[in-house]
Amino acid sequence: MFRRLFVIIGFFLAVASARGQGSPPDQAEQQRILLDRIQQLEKRVSELEAKGGVSPAPTPPAPSTPVVQTPESEPAPAAQAPSPGPAHEHEARDEQAAVRQVETHYPSLQVRGFGDVNFSATDQKGVNSGFNLGQLDLHLASPLSRKVSYFGEISFTAQPTGYAVEVERSFIRYDYNDYFKISFGRFHTPIGYWNAAFHHGSWLQTTISRPEMVQFGGTFIPVHFVGFLAEGNIPSGGAGLGYSVGVGNGRGSTISRAGDAGDINDNRAWVANIYARPARLYGLQTGVSVYRDKITLSDGRSFREWISGAHLVWTKESPEFLAEFANVNHREVFTNAVSNSQAFYVQLGYRLPWFEKLVKPYYRFEYTHTPLSENVFGNHDLVGSTLGLRYDITNYASFKGEYRNTKRKTGDPTINGLFLQTDFTF
Amino acid sequence: MNATSKHRVAVSWVVIWISFHLYSSSAAQTPRGDDIAVVVNQETPVSDLSLAEVRKVLLGERQYWNSKLPVVLLIRAPVARERDVVLRVIYQMTEAQFKQYWVAKIFRAEAASPPKIVYSNDMQYELVSALPGAIGFVDARSVRRELKVLRVDGRLPGDHDYPLR
Repeated sequence: MFRRLFVIIGFFLAVASARGQGSPPDQAEQQRILLDRIQQLEKRVSELEAKGGVSPAPTPPAPSTPVVQTPESEPAPAAQAPSPGPAHEHEARDEQAAVRQVETHYPSLQVRGFGDVNFSATDQKGVNSGFNLGQLDLHLASPLSRKVSYFGEISFTAQPTGYAVEVERSFIRYDYNDYFKISFGRFHTPIGYWNAAFHHGSWLQTTISRPEMVQFGGTFIPVHFVGFLAEGNIPSGGAGLGYSVGVGNGRGSTISRAGDAGDINDNRAWVANIYARPARLYGLQTGVSVYRDKITLSDGRSFREWISGAHLVWTKESPEFLAEFANVNHREVFTNAVSNSQAFYVQLGYRLPWFEKLVKPYYRFEYTHTPLSENVFGNHDLVGSTLGLRYDITNYASFKGEYRNTKRKTGDPTINGLFLQTDFTF
Repeated sequence: MNATSKHRVAVSWVVIWISFHLYSSSAAQTPRGDDIAVVVNQETPVSDLSLAEVRKVLLGERQYWNSKLPVVLLIRAPVARERDVVLRVIYQMTEAQFKQYWVAKIFRAEAASPPKIVYSNDMQYELVSALPGAIGFVDARSVRRELKVLRVDGRLPGDHDYPLR
């Protein structure tokens, strides 16, 4: 009988243990959240007391609060309702305060910074190992009205002689509805997935480095685009279709740069991207892109450029799957000589269920081929593998470690490298 | 009472005690059972959304009810059960993933601001009543009459197979 008793107790203890392991309540995190919340509430109470005064008799709410009267922030019905008695007045005042607190005021500038610190060591001849400061990136977002917003991004990149400051993105967007939004300015070109999904903050992406085909300062695809961009959803039910269509200056005479200060020819570049996010497969996105431009190099030669790309991604983290392909076609206007270069990458990551889901190993394979006939951006050949681990120290900072194995042209040595990074947003 | 009966009684008490302990601890960790109603302002021109459409709204992929009425997302502060259900069923994200999602969303310029945080149900009722286009999530037992409760996948809170619980 006692044996049976022990078996039953053992069974329940095992179940209890499994339950404890199955639910991941991070008590320290919850306590921190609660403390934050208490502080926020205390702050709110202080603000309300300061605004309402400490007079024992409740006074009617000031109807001329600038926030409520701003044309762009329409006064809420509750804020206009008369208050028949002290209790109602008090309730109305609380209600007004709550509404005011969450109303968006215009303009409402939000600044977010991204930074990273890196260490690298490779067996490439002539390259020293050591630390570097990476990029400091500031992102600005400011709603100017209910339908107009400004977005900007400024980066500070460490150079041997100082810091290079660059306006990475700067545009104003007008929303008509979900189906039509139009922006003017400088964007990351919506070719494929990575270039429009991950910008300069390394913290946003799983890996330390971007794939070679979308490298900042790279030339394979035009990373930046100056002009206008229309985007939105396409009424398509569960297919979840969306689009981006843009017209702009295209590449500058320095092939890696967009024509920020003006086009180098009278031919506008255009880009079109269509994608699907099926409702039944939450996390899946697939799409195709095309880009057309006429490039005029500094030596006077001109080329017609056609870029076509496709992507398939699963944006959840267990697993995360990103795959993208692009073909770049160049045809010299004078000689009609044609070249086609291809690049793709496949990246797989998985946020492990253990360690409070803070650890995410990943692997990426990438390949770039440029033929000898390619005249616009020279040789880009690459076969590379990246194996790494991301550990999220907090919700807003991570450590990453990567081993990379890359080989360029035939006959070049294989390069092995160790890369470490801590990146964060603030 | 013979020895066998004593043992049976002892075993029964142990089973009852452990069952009670397990039930109470699990209830404390993951409170379940009550439906979470999706509530909107009376002027919002929707009454029935599929779960996928609710997800699209909460992900910021649908930002307008119509061209004149933007969606105003309201979400309870951390630890509230309404937030847990929204994160688990709709976003299918952890708290950390949810925060990172909105940082990335704004950084990609796909949204100008994240969902607005509300600290109590009263505050949420006031905001949904006062702000045209607002959508919030409240315990179905305490829904007020001035709010419109949306059907989700054709079901109201309390219906069999209602998805938000």
